[in-house]
Parts: sequence; C-alpha cells; structure tokens
Amino acid sequence: MSDAPARPARTVKLNVINEPKDSYTGGKSSLCPGCGHDQISNVIIAAAWENGIEPHRIAKMSGIGCSSKTPAYYLGQSHGFNTVHGRMPSVTTGAYAVNKDLLYLGVSGDGDSASIGIGQLIHAIRRNMDMVYIVENNGVYGLTKGQYSATADVGSKKKKGKINTTQPIDLAALAINLGCTFVARSFSGSKKQLTSLLKAAMSHKGFALIDVISPCVTFNNNDESMRSYGYVKENEITLHMTDYIPHFNPVEEVEVPEGHFRDIELHDGSTIRLETISDEHDPGNAVAALTALHEAETDQKHVTGLLYFDNTKPALAEDLGLVETPLIDVPADSLRPSKAILDQLNAALLG
Amino acid sequence: MESIANDYTINIATANGTGSQSANLILLQAFFEMGVPVSGKNLFPSNISGLPTWYIMRLSDHGYQAPGDRTHIQVLVNPATWAEDLAALEPGSVVIWNENAKMEMNREDVISYPVPMSALARKINPKIAKLVTNIVYVGVLAQMLGIDQNALESAVAKQFKGKDSAIELNITALGLGRDYFKDTFSKKDPYVVESREIETPKFFIDGNEAAALGCIFGGVQMLAWYPITPSSSLAEGIINYIPQLRVDDEGNATCAVIQAEDELAAAGMVLGAGWAGGRGMTATSGPGISLMQEFIGLAYFAEIPSVFWDVNRVGPSTGLPTRTQQSDITMLYEGSHGDTQHIVLMPGTVEECFEFGWRAFDITERFQTPVFGLSDLDLGMNRWACEGFTYPDQDMDRGKVVRDKDVFEAFEEFGRYLDVDGDGIPYRTLPGSGMDPILYRGTGHNPKGVYSEKPEDYFNLMARLKSKIDGARDLLPAPILREETECEVGIIYLGSMENTIQEIDDMLEATGLKVSQCRVRALPLHSEVEEFIRRHETTIVLEINRDGQLYGILRKELPNDLITKVHSVAYSDGMPPRARIYSDRILSTLKEVNQ
Repeated sequence: MSDAPARPARTVKLNVINEPKDSYTGGKSSLCPGCGHDQISNVIIAAAWENGIEPHRIAKMSGIGCSSKTPAYYLGQSHGFNTVHGRMPSVTTGAYAVNKDLLYLGVSGDGDSASIGIGQLIHAIRRNMDMVYIVENNGVYGLTKGQYSATADVGSKKKKGKINTTQPIDLAALAINLGCTFVARSFSGSKKQLTSLLKAAMSHKGFALIDVISPCVTFNNNDESMRSYGYVKENEITLHMTDYIPHFNPVEEVEVPEGHFRDIELHDGSTIRLETISDEHDPGNAVAALTALHEAETDQKHVTGLLYFDNTKPALAEDLGLVETPLIDVPADSLRPSKAILDQLNAALLG
Repeated sequence: MESIANDYTINIATANGTGSQSANLILLQAFFEMGVPVSGKNLFPSNISGLPTWYIMRLSDHGYQAPGDRTHIQVLVNPATWAEDLAALEPGSVVIWNENAKMEMNREDVISYPVPMSALARKINPKIAKLVTNIVYVGVLAQMLGIDQNALESAVAKQFKGKDSAIELNITALGLGRDYFKDTFSKKDPYVVESREIETPKFFIDGNEAAALGCIFGGVQMLAWYPITPSSSLAEGIINYIPQLRVDDEGNATCAVIQAEDELAAAGMVLGAGWAGGRGMTATSGPGISLMQEFIGLAYFAEIPSVFWDVNRVGPSTGLPTRTQQSDITMLYEGSHGDTQHIVLMPGTVEECFEFGWRAFDITERFQTPVFGLSDLDLGMNRWACEGFTYPDQDMDRGKVVRDKDVFEAFEEFGRYLDVDGDGIPYRTLPGSGMDPILYRGTGHNPKGVYSEKPEDYFNLMARLKSKIDGARDLLPAPILREETECEVGIIYLGSMENTIQEIDDMLEATGLKVSQCRVRALPLHSEVEEFIRRHETTIVLEINRDGQLYGILRKELPNDLITKVHSVAYSDGMPPRARIYSDRILSTLKEVNQ
C-alpha cells in the first residue's frame, strides 16, 4: 500500500445561487457546424448562469426557423414553447398575463421578426411587454435553403441567384422609432459584448430587443454578403463596450477602458455601465441612436452596443392592473365569485 | 271588429344612429313587464349612422319568438326604405307613419295612422328632435294597443337607469304620442295588448352578456380579443363585469384583458395563457376564426387548453356582418390543416350561454384541447327572457395538472404526452414549476414531447388524440330531446333555432305529422343522437346555412344503415329563421323522401 496523496476533488464553479453552469445547458445542436446561432446559445447559457437566475423560472419562447429551433440547445431545465412562425410574441404575452413572474426569453430570426411576425413584434414593443427578444439575424431563410429575408442588404448576393435589390428593414431602427425601451445590436462572434448586453436585457423591465448579426455559414457566407462572418468582422464598429454588474455581486471588476463611461440603473437595482468609444452617443437619445444607425448604414458598417435605453416607461404588467400574485397562483375562490354574488346579480337583473 | 290580443308582429323601420334602439327596447320591455311573451330582433346595418334598421317585435301567447310570417303593424320613420316597406305589407295591416317625412302614403288597403312625429318631437326640444321622434311612435303604439302606463314608465326607468332628465324627457314624449293618437284617431285596427299573469319573474338579457357572465364565473384569467361584430359585446361584457366581480379590495383584477392587434395575436395569447396554466379565452366571429386556424391546430396538436367563442355571422368572407347564420360548424369542428377534430359547445338559450361560458374552461382543461363556444348573432345580440342563471354545480375542474413535486415523483414514468390512464389524456406540468421541463412544439413529438419523425410516434400520437376527443362525446352537454310516442319525424337542430322550433313543430303537426325534436348541444355528437335517429322513421337535420353542415358531420359519422334515414333542410338568407320557410321546406323534403 502506498501513501499516495488523495487527488483533490475537482471544484465545480457555482454561481450565486449555487448552480453549476451545467444546470443551464441544453441538448445537442442540430444546426450547421459553425452556425452563429450556436454561439448565441452559449451566450444565453453564460448570461443566465452569471445572472444567477433559477433555470426553471425562465420560459424559452420561439417561433419557426433555424433560430427558433435553438431553445432545445440551452436551458434544459426551463419550459419552452416553439410556437408558430412569427407569432412567438403573442404566445409570450398570453403566458405573461397569467404568470408575470417568469423571465420570458424569446429567440427569433429575421424571417420571424422582419416578415411574417413583424406585426406581433411591433405590438409587443408597443405594449412594452416584459421580455428579452433576441433576433438571430442572418439575412436569409436557412431552413428553406437560402431565400433572402427582409433584412438582407441591398447588394447582397446569394451563392446562386440574383443580387438583392429590395430595401432591408433595420429592426433596431424600427424598434427605436416605436419607443422600444431597450435596443441593442451585437454580433454572434462578440461573446463578451453580447453576454453583457444579454445580462442587462434580462434585468430590464420592459421589452429588450437585441438584434444579433449571426451569419449563416451555409447560405450567406460569400464575402459579398454583408452578414457573412468575414464581412462583419472586417466592418463592425463598436459603439459601446457594455458591461453588466449583477446587483448581487457589486465587487465584480469592470473593465474600464480609457475615456468616458456612464452607469445606468436598471429596474431591479442592478447597474449597466456603458463605456463609450464615441462619447457623443447618449443611449437616452433616440435621435442620436438613429443617426448612428443611419451613418453606419451609409458607410456600410454595423454599429453595435446598447443603442437606446429608457427605464421610465411602465411595463405591460402595470397596464394590466392585476393582483400582485401571478394569476395562475390565485386561488379558485378568487376566480369564481360566490353563489351569493350570483344570486344578487340575478335579483338585480330582475329589477 | 274582434280584437286580436298578443298575437301579432310589429316592424319598426328607422335609420340607425338616431336613437331608435333605446325607443324600441323601451317598447319591448313594456310588453315584457305586462307579462306578454314577446321577442325582439334588431336588424341593423354594418355602419354607425344613417342606414336602414328594422326592429321586429313578435307578441305571441304561444311563446313563438321567431319574427313570424308577416308584419301586422308597420311603423315608418325612415324615408330610405319607405316604399319597399309599404309595398311588402298585406292588405289590412296597420301603418303608423311620420307625416313629416315628406313621403307618400300610397296604400289605400291598409289602416293608416299618420302622425307628425318630427313636429311633436320638436315641441319638446328642437335640438334633439330626431332622437325624440322615436319615443313619440312608442307613445302612439302605447295608446293604440293599450300598453299599461306603469309598465311603460318602468321600462323607461330601466333604460335610462338613474338619468332623471332623460327619464322625464322620454315620459313627456310618450305622453305626446299617446295624446296625439287619442285626440286624432278613433281606433280602426283590431290589435290590443293584454296583461298576462307572470308565473315566473324573468328578465331580458342578450346571449353575449350571458356568455360573458358565464366566463366570469368560469374563472377566466385572460381575455385577448380583437373587435368584430357580432362578438364585441361578449368581450366587452367581460370587461364591464371585471370591476364588479373579479377584483380584490384594492381594485386589482384577477383577469387580464388585452385588446390584441389582430385575431392571430388574440389566439396566440389564448394559447400562451393556457400553456402557462391559466384560463385564457377569446371572443370572435367567423372571419376571426379563419385567421386563428394556425393556432387552433397548434392547440390541438400540442394539447393546450384554450377557449374560443365564435358568435356566428353570415359568411363567406365579410359576408353580411350584421346578419345571423349557423355556418361555422364545420370550420370549428375540423379547424386547421391536417387531421383535427374539436369540441364545440352550442348553446341555444341565454341560460346555456352562461352555463357553457363557465363549462368551456373545465372542458378545455380536462381534455387539454381547444374548446369552442358557438353562438350566433341572433342569440348573441338580441334580448331573450331569462329566469336567472344557475350557479355552477361543480367546482372548477383544472384537469390533469401535476402541481406537486411528490405527486410528480410518484409517477413511474413521466412524459408530457404519455397516456397513463388509458383515456388519451396525458398529464402536464406548468412552466416555472421545474417539473418535466419540455419544449412544447407544433412539430411531431414522442410521448416525452421530444421532436420525432418516427412513423410509430406520429401514428400513435394521432390515434391517441382521436381517442381523446372521442372519449369526450358523452361527457359533453347531452342533446335535449322532446319526443312523441310515435317516432315518425325527428328534427335534429342546434343553437338559436331553439327559438323557432316550436312554431315549426306546430306548423308540421297541423298537417297531421308527429314530430320529435333533438337539439344537439355539443360536438362531437353525443351517442344519444344516433339512438334518436335509429328510433325515428325519418330524421330531418335543420340548420341556418346553405350546405347542411351538421348534416354533413352526421353523414360522415353515422353507421351506414342510418345514413339513408337522415335528410337535410338547410336554408339561410341572413334573416333570423322564420318558421314558415323551414316548415314548408321540411314538408317538401318529406314529400320527396316518401315518393
């Protein structure tokens, strides 16, 4: 018998609610290898873990398309609903109305959000529906093999077929114009920035739109396409570095590059800090955000970061005027008025 | 001249947006307060102001509620339909007409009572003369028929609850109408109204308000809706009752209301609420159901409780938006693409609108499938006599929801779509519970809820869904049977035809036939329906549509030996059913059958 020293137990890193990151993972992806969407799935896992959200208190929502398949690949302990094409916002709204205490995390694509479901997106924004809405934006319809979507830039060229000449819809600009209370743009390869934005979006009370440029490796990866990996990496300009300080961990270091920064307090007491490269940009200024988007478009570049933020508007829950308890937990006797009340009502109707 | 009491039809032709609806409802209520069996049908146009409107009141000691074969008393206020309305009258009809309308009275074979309605109204208040004109004709009718003044004043008070100045003005205007008739005419017509003993006190209510109250007592937790005639007043009924019936001490509601951007979104919200464990519903009409088809299929396939009320109007397309029909039966029963089959509840009375209002939630949660309430414009928007609503006779049935970790762990094997009990109904857990988290989907799935394209998974799933809905048949509201001992002719009908069936039955029996009735109240059809057909020599399926949709369902589902015994009589012209039209058609169908 030798006295070999016992091997130290491998320590698993836990988050603030003592959950390992494994509690936030999902099934194996069936997307094309190298797909930007898988990077976003990993960011969702990281952000939820780092924010210390109980995994089962998240509701994963999606529509139809490559992006909408991804909820199977993250947060395996959360219920989810892969709904119908473009209609995820309405299903989410109905679920939220009866259980406002879950974190609704919607993942959508540009087909879902900019075409078939643009109406539902717009009205969810109008209501300031309390949810995170990620658009995995690649400018093509992947599952049907490569048709242009409504976000494809003019001049984009598919591997086969005509150059796109139809004007694209900029979902971030649209959202700002609609008064969306949290509008950001990022890139699936910018893990650090996207993680920060997503963590902030998860803490926001109201509609948080993150338009993530997520190149399609199969149908949109010739360099003429403005959403190809190569094109974006070359041409991305970072408007802000965002970093997010969860309120339960205020000591976490924030990288503060030289220059200006601004702290923004979120509804739940946590703070988002924006570090600006372009110190003219104020995320409370919608016109400046739109200008930045337009200038980037003119220069054929993408502007990323937190573009617009407003924490003064009430979220949908306040408009609904509901009891504090989520409706699904309201006891039956509060849902069905008593027999005495019906008797009174009958008597009143008899006059 | 022999007088005719309580057995005639009054037709009042006005333009909408002039306040004639209040006047007509006062008249209706006054008859009602005198104990006279009366029904009112509002035939209104699809606009807000200025187009022709008719209000048809049928007084009938037999209790007949259909408009009747003909008009006995015509009130003419609207110049736009004057000539047409006048031409349609049978000789001897009464015409009360507005002398100030600058229209011609060219019939000499009618009993004519010209009244300067506008001039009388102007005397009271020139600014609102148009409005007051309507109440003047009510006063004229009151004097002509002998309506009790107390009943009239009580009806006015009910119409303008607590608004003293409006009550006073209307009573003055009624008096002017009464006095004008008394001072100007000697009664030349036979029509009178006679008070009847009120055995059971009743009130008037429309089907939409009754259904709204039913939903409130069913514990609705989320209403998502998009305005559409003739269902809007159902949604608005819920909205109006929430502050009274569904709030806590601080006025916070236990039911969310969202006016959606369209019917697609309304349906999506209903599914979202059901998925999350709440009682969600929408109210719409045929065009809305057309738009909701995609979600209806998802609710069926992913097994999401969801309640959809369809107040049927005339289709196809925009159709006749303010007219009535029973034409959405097939669309509801087999809604959405692929093989589907849905539960449809079909109330025929306001009491049933209330009952099915609450019951729909129990059924949708029990069977985890969409449930439709099918009403129609006639039932939904017209007022019907009601003895009062009956409190639910059972606690809310929330269905097979696992809410407890211990219960969950006691399952040997858990799968969202696993048929544990052999009734085709699986168990579910709710988002946020942490138990059996799955990604719900409209794609093919195995008993665990995981994506699957395996032939056996798809086949078994579809077979289970079919058996689940099939198992609901005899648990749904059973048909109402009124059978003769001689099982000669059976009539199967549904919904608001209830208000016309007795008159049809009487017309048929006057020819010597023995007629039984079977009112179906739910789809899939109860096994009693098949037995009813088996017992009768011949069965007629009577519907307010062109194609005989209920008949089609029976043809598909009945055993072969019964199919030849069943015949369709389907007719629709947009009007509420008139008994004579249907009885004539039944007779001619029977004649063909017997040849």
